Amino acid sequence: MTIAPARKPGTDRQQPAPAGTPGRPRVGAYPWVMAGSIAFAVAGAAVSLNGVLRGWAWYWPVLTTVLVVSLTLAVLRSVRAQPLLVTAGGFLSLAAILTLTFFRSSSFAGILPTGASLSELDRLIRRASETVLSETAPVAPNVGIVMVICVVLGLAVILVDALAVPLGMPAATGVGLLAILVVPAMIKPQSVGFWAFAAVVAGYLMILACSQWYVPDARTPADSARSPGQVRRAVLTGAVAVAATLVLPLAIPGFDQGTFPQGSRINPWGQSTGLNPMITLGNSLRTPAGSGRITYATNSPAPLYLRSVTVDNFDGDSWGPDDRNASRRPLGNQIDPGYAVPDMQQLVTAIDAGTFTSPYLPVPYAPESVRGLEGRWTWDPATLSIKGTDTTSRRQEYLVTSTVPKVTAGLLARSSAPVQGIADDFTRIPGNIPDIVRRTADTVAGSDSTPYDKAMAIQKYLRSAEFTYSLQSPVQGGYDGNGLSVLADFLNQKSGYCIHYASAMAVMARLEGIPSRIAVGYAPGRLTGATVSVAGQGALPEYEVDARDAHAWPELYFQGLGWVPFEPTPSRGVVPDYATETSASSAPNALDNGDDLVPGATPAPAPAPSAAPLPGPEAGVTTDTGSQLLPWLTGIGALLGAALLAASPRLIRAGIRARRLRTADPAAAVPLAWIEMVDLGTDYGLPPQPSETPRAYSARLRGSQLLGEPGGMDEAAHQAAAALTADFERQKYGPPLGGEPEADQPETARKASRSSEITAARIAALESAFRANSPTLRRLHAAWLPASVVGRFGRLLAVPFRAAGVAVGQAAKAAARTWSARWSGDS
Amino acid sequence: MESHRRTANDVSAANRNLAGIAEPVSHLNGHRSAAMDATSFHEASHRILTTVNTVIDGKSDAAKLALTVLLAQGHLLLEDVPGVGKTLLAKTLARTIDCTVNRIQFTPDLLPSDVTGVSIYNQSSRLFEFRPGAVFANIVIGDEINRASAKTQSALLECMEEHQVTVDGKSYRLDEPFMVVATQNPIEMEGTYPLPEAQRDRFMARISMGYPDKESEIEMLETHQSASPLAKVSPVVTTAEVAAMIATVQQVYVSQAVKEYTVSVGRATRESPLLRLGASPRSMLQLLRAAKATAALDGRDFVLPDDVVDVAEAVLAHRIILDRKAAGAGETAHSVLRGILSRLPVAQKPADTGARASAPAGRNAPVAGLSRNH
Repeated sequence: MTIAPARKPGTDRQQPAPAGTPGRPRVGAYPWVMAGSIAFAVAGAAVSLNGVLRGWAWYWPVLTTVLVVSLTLAVLRSVRAQPLLVTAGGFLSLAAILTLTFFRSSSFAGILPTGASLSELDRLIRRASETVLSETAPVAPNVGIVMVICVVLGLAVILVDALAVPLGMPAATGVGLLAILVVPAMIKPQSVGFWAFAAVVAGYLMILACSQWYVPDARTPADSARSPGQVRRAVLTGAVAVAATLVLPLAIPGFDQGTFPQGSRINPWGQSTGLNPMITLGNSLRTPAGSGRITYATNSPAPLYLRSVTVDNFDGDSWGPDDRNASRRPLGNQIDPGYAVPDMQQLVTAIDAGTFTSPYLPVPYAPESVRGLEGRWTWDPATLSIKGTDTTSRRQEYLVTSTVPKVTAGLLARSSAPVQGIADDFTRIPGNIPDIVRRTADTVAGSDSTPYDKAMAIQKYLRSAEFTYSLQSPVQGGYDGNGLSVLADFLNQKSGYCIHYASAMAVMARLEGIPSRIAVGYAPGRLTGATVSVAGQGALPEYEVDARDAHAWPELYFQGLGWVPFEPTPSRGVVPDYATETSASSAPNALDNGDDLVPGATPAPAPAPSAAPLPGPEAGVTTDTGSQLLPWLTGIGALLGAALLAASPRLIRAGIRARRLRTADPAAAVPLAWIEMVDLGTDYGLPPQPSETPRAYSARLRGSQLLGEPGGMDEAAHQAAAALTADFERQKYGPPLGGEPEADQPETARKASRSSEITAARIAALESAFRANSPTLRRLHAAWLPASVVGRFGRLLAVPFRAAGVAVGQAAKAAARTWSARWSGDS
Repeated sequence: MESHRRTANDVSAANRNLAGIAEPVSHLNGHRSAAMDATSFHEASHRILTTVNTVIDGKSDAAKLALTVLLAQGHLLLEDVPGVGKTLLAKTLARTIDCTVNRIQFTPDLLPSDVTGVSIYNQSSRLFEFRPGAVFANIVIGDEINRASAKTQSALLECMEEHQVTVDGKSYRLDEPFMVVATQNPIEMEGTYPLPEAQRDRFMARISMGYPDKESEIEMLETHQSASPLAKVSPVVTTAEVAAMIATVQQVYVSQAVKEYTVSVGRATRESPLLRLGASPRSMLQLLRAAKATAALDGRDFVLPDDVVDVAEAVLAHRIILDRKAAGAGETAHSVLRGILSRLPVAQKPADTGARASAPAGRNAPVAGLSRNH
């Protein structure tokens, strides 16, 4: 509990103790360095919050808070205040800087909070809690949430400081820093991010180095001789840490992607599809493994979109579906779309929602009746979304009858009558539309006359080569989410995913006078190959969708035709017939729809030939023989591959042995036979130690249980081992063999072949003895995963790692030298 | 085997020049002993060891090491508590060989001239005559060497190193073989002058006898009751035979790999953080000589790393000095050496030492060996 650090003896020797009062030595640079380290670590951790909060504007108040608090702590400590006083001063300075930043108008002298400040505080906290509850990351940095973050980070500084200095537990400061990192790790799809993580680690190391340098732990003498176990302990600790890093995410169910701790994302609640599906859309799309699988069987000839909810209110920072609880009606037998379209086509779809959990039911548009649901459900006349009042879509199996107006490009082109009878909700233009949206809408569609032309112009613009489909760039660009500001960013960056395309088209359509809304649901899925028999329809082909097919698309209202879906997102979904370019409407290659295509409608019994627009290459896959033979071939191939892979160490081992025993050169034969014996011992779990001489290894081998008692059954093996060792010793250490006269070739060859036969017999005797004396497991291991081969692979693989480790170690040592030189120079 | 013989002879012929520098024996005697063949070497060594073992029970390792030092032309330091048979070992070894033996009991008042000899004025011839001291013998037993003054000690040590005595400016050569077997007492510190490090370096090996085990001790009580067993010992080899054995040991082949291993042992002791003083190059030479003798006693005409390991502790332990911290941590010279040897890698794969490369060149090897030796 001392503020004054124990000085290093070396420093004391160089400069005699200052002439101050005894017992109160100079404090030196310690408080400043320590406070700087803590500020660096906490500010570095705060960097990771970019992405939780949008943009960087929030960072300056945060940085100011962190710096002011650390500075206060350093100043108090350098004037040797009592430890408790230092911490109390930290709290006071935090309160002051927060008042200055957030409640300047209601404060006294800028830094003293008044009663009005408290009510202001209450308002900000409520605002923050609203943000937390209602918005999705990245949230707009409003005053409330920024203030909460400033408070938390200021407290983190005080906590870290208290742990590091008065309590003397610098290693425990990691907990405080980790507490900050947990937030982005749980919220951001990219987790903490590299720079923030690196900054925190650097700051943490600085704190540790600082305390070790200025307040060395008395239990670890600094200048003792390096004990030989130190390196091994360090390596062991490191290995355990790495292993834990790899194993922990597997053991904890929450970590669903990435490597712990950097890049991993803790997600203990699974794929939530809650009240606002738009929040989770991006995350769903980014899940590497599809979850929330829904299967459905339909008689629709065209690819079927499943729609669960619509978004029509484009005001505010963040869009979400409107509950419309007031206008909802209980789900009876019949759902009335509210308008009549002359030419309708009726579809039947059987849906199994599986683990998809949402209050909104995914159904094809426009539902007429839903049967087989459990629980109480309501439907909304305006949007036709079906919502459970006391239940969710989880584990529901239901049959939907839906009607689709037979919309064609011609009909749409003729629908130029002004819109009537549509709620204001779908036409209202939000007040704060960014300029770029308005400008783009004007440029793209301003010159067209009919609503259909305008819609087509917008869709064509969004599907043009200028735009790229990307799940990552909105995250990197900081506009992952939805809202008007996001839309402006999207139109600038021209890169995003379905929600951005859909909202762009919907908002621009409203600007051009077309009523619009965003539908959220699933793009058409893939054939599973199974069929489902539905009463009255026979066997229907089954499709599946999962989280990766989550989709959003705009629906535009045309007078007399109702709500018509469009597909502005490139490479997702299927562009409807009526929405394809007129010139290309008959050409199948206009549908550049990437990999989510439903492979045609060939298996569908539907009579409509025009509904099968995809005679493309995918059509061939659907032939029965092809689809049944392929898995078999793949399976056999995989089996063969696995067998080969499993056998490969054994094959390699056998090849190595054959080559060694076959060698023609008698001079090389002896060492090779020795190596073979050593490898054989290694395979059976008795590898040589580096400090072991051949004789010592041979003695150990013969003394081990592998060879049994000498003189017994394994006498031959004992003799073989002794002979191989003696030969090798003579070859390696003995005087070189005298210059034999050039013997005639056949003689030499015969000798060589005889000696190689003897060697082979010795090795065989050894191996049979080993095999007889080993338990089954060891025998199998030696045969299939011979340690001599596997170990060699391991060594080869380890070479780059070892080199990297050496390099890092040297760099760290050099850095430590530089730093220590600098600090000792300072103090 | 025939080819080995011939090669060995070649090498020994080539060794002669080198031997003149490093090993004074051949030139001092004026002739060179012919090497023994393997069988008679084995028989002779077996006879010596059997005889020594009949006298000293349960100390065959110490006896073998003593013989090793004799054959390697080194000097032996026996250090142990009183009464474990140090002097008996020295005397028995001396007795088995048909050679001159002198014993010097070192006391504080012993003078250098008592050891080396002194010139005395002869009244009748009116000339100074040299009276040889106790050191003029094949085997000199220096009992309790640390009791003599430093001056006397260094007189003996000079003889050990130079194999000659210089009195009044005249040098007298000592007989060959010449071996000093010194005993000293580690615990009796009063009135002793412990040998400084530099002088301990002159001894090739230091042996601690240690207590005999239970059976040996019982047997010792049985056999040594009535008469000293030493009385029954008669010489089993002649001086000429010993000289021939020494010549055989000199011809033992040392491969490049073993030389490298020996050097790496020395380097490891110098680099060890636990040691203040590592092994000197001279000690490396002695280590290799002792290893050669070990190999010869084992019936081989080439040295293995095992031979080096076998004698390393005895040869090196009294030359290295522990770091103060290591000594404080309870390390001993023996434990440190053992640790070094257990960590020091022995090149096992032939590829590591280039044996594979030299193997095809086997025909040229004798020539190469000659050129190396010149």
